[in-house]
Amino acid sequence: MNQNRCVFLMGVERAMEYRVSFFLSMLSAVFPIVIQITMWNYLYGHGDGAAVFGYEHEQILLYTLLAVIVSQLAGAGFEGEVNSDIKMGGLNKYLVRPVSYKWYQFFSFTGQKVPRFLVAAPVMTGILVVGAWQGLSLSAARILAFLGSLVLAVVLNFCIFYCIGLLGFWLTDVDKLFGTVSIVLTVASGGIFPMDIFGGWVEFVVNLLPFGYTTQFPVNVINGRFGWERICLGTGFQAGWILVFACLGEWMWRQGLKRYVGIGG
Amino acid sequence: MGKIWRYLRLIGVFAKYSLMSALEYRINFVAGVAVEMGWMVIKLLYVAIIYKAGTDIGILTPDHILLFVGIYMLLTGVYMLYFGNFCSLPGMIQQGELDLYLVKPVSLQFYVTLRRLDFSLLLPEMVAGTAMIVAGWKRAGLPVGLVPVGGFLFYLLCGCLLTYSLFLLPYLISFWTISLGGIADISNALWDFNNMPSLIYGKRLRDLGTYVLPVFVITNFPGLFLMGELSVGSCIWGVAAPVVFFVIARLLWKVSLGKYSSASS
Repeated sequence: MNQNRCVFLMGVERAMEYRVSFFLSMLSAVFPIVIQITMWNYLYGHGDGAAVFGYEHEQILLYTLLAVIVSQLAGAGFEGEVNSDIKMGGLNKYLVRPVSYKWYQFFSFTGQKVPRFLVAAPVMTGILVVGAWQGLSLSAARILAFLGSLVLAVVLNFCIFYCIGLLGFWLTDVDKLFGTVSIVLTVASGGIFPMDIFGGWVEFVVNLLPFGYTTQFPVNVINGRFGWERICLGTGFQAGWILVFACLGEWMWRQGLKRYVGIGG
Repeated sequence: MGKIWRYLRLIGVFAKYSLMSALEYRINFVAGVAVEMGWMVIKLLYVAIIYKAGTDIGILTPDHILLFVGIYMLLTGVYMLYFGNFCSLPGMIQQGELDLYLVKPVSLQFYVTLRRLDFSLLLPEMVAGTAMIVAGWKRAGLPVGLVPVGGFLFYLLCGCLLTYSLFLLPYLISFWTISLGGIADISNALWDFNNMPSLIYGKRLRDLGTYVLPVFVITNFPGLFLMGELSVGSCIWGVAAPVVFFVIARLLWKVSLGKYSSASS
């Protein structure tokens, strides 16, 4: 337990290593928000956006603001390190010590989320307060459901990207693959636009796949789009997908270790 | 004139070796295409939303917007062709790699910023961007003739020069700082303002993006010229901005280079 706490604290320190860079990265998230809010304001101001997209004007604005924050909080980025450990023999130091590589990565990942959360929490609170002032229906139960879904989203994203990182056991050069996967998953998770605005089969597929449960689902819990039945069903899907990817990760780890050759490290 | 010819021939040599290298590592090339296609999907989402809403943006119909986003995609491809050189600049400064290039009988800025060209990133954006330009041009019923086509291509070239000069500036900060991650994120986010035509933004933001940090000049002026909506003043600024920013980039490069101290050898 003490060991996991240390890894967690190391993660916090790593995230704060280059503070100016860290805050500028956070600031860069503002630009896409400006672009999208301008676009939504224009489209809703010059047409019946609610009928076309299925979101009320306030809901889509809240979605735009919160999706960027949620995707920043849930976002991975450690898969390259996993791949590098596999390729460069860095795994050796974990294999010979009484430490679980999976839990090491998990606590390091969650530790690095702390500074982001400390920046995001007041911003998110401010957005919700303004939203409530504009008529957003907020209750303690809904806020709790949102926080719960956010935690599950972070864990689910970790499990997905842990599996992607472990592909390094089988593939020779996966650096660019990570880039592709990361972009596709950002789109599929609703990190850019809510995918259900496209309706029909797109919405159906997004609801079935795990990716929407990392961004789109938590945001739609808090912006009031989902009722309680949908929230319970979505939470079930989140838990189910976490279980699937956790088992897949465990299986990939066992199979991958059989192929692993520890050179260097 | 002879000097320009020499540098053009050098670009040809760089292109030849970059292409040979890309064809040697074919999977890497395919992965690069896949990454860029992922980014393309995001740009296409904006077009899909505009078409779904069916709303005009000022004088721009959805078909005009298709043309504008096509220009943005094409110029993104051209930018990505040499973008990797900008990204590797901080590493070269930290590790003292510039020493090797300082002694070559060629402009250091030219060599460092254009020596490696990534055709895998250009290809998908160029194909999709050109297709969108042609489709948008035809659907919007825009004129086809020597002056419209010539002027359009001329402003595309001006956009290429302006992109190079404007987006090199943030990377020059790496001569002073260690970590550039945040600044690079901000400059990339700035480029994304072209996801939508400038007419969607408010007057202040439009003026800022046209005259102070002229990102809107890059992708909007070719389309506006084609539509006959570019005033005489704007026509002149469209030509002057690339020259002004190229001179600024050149001067700042020389000043920045003064901060460089050899770290190896």
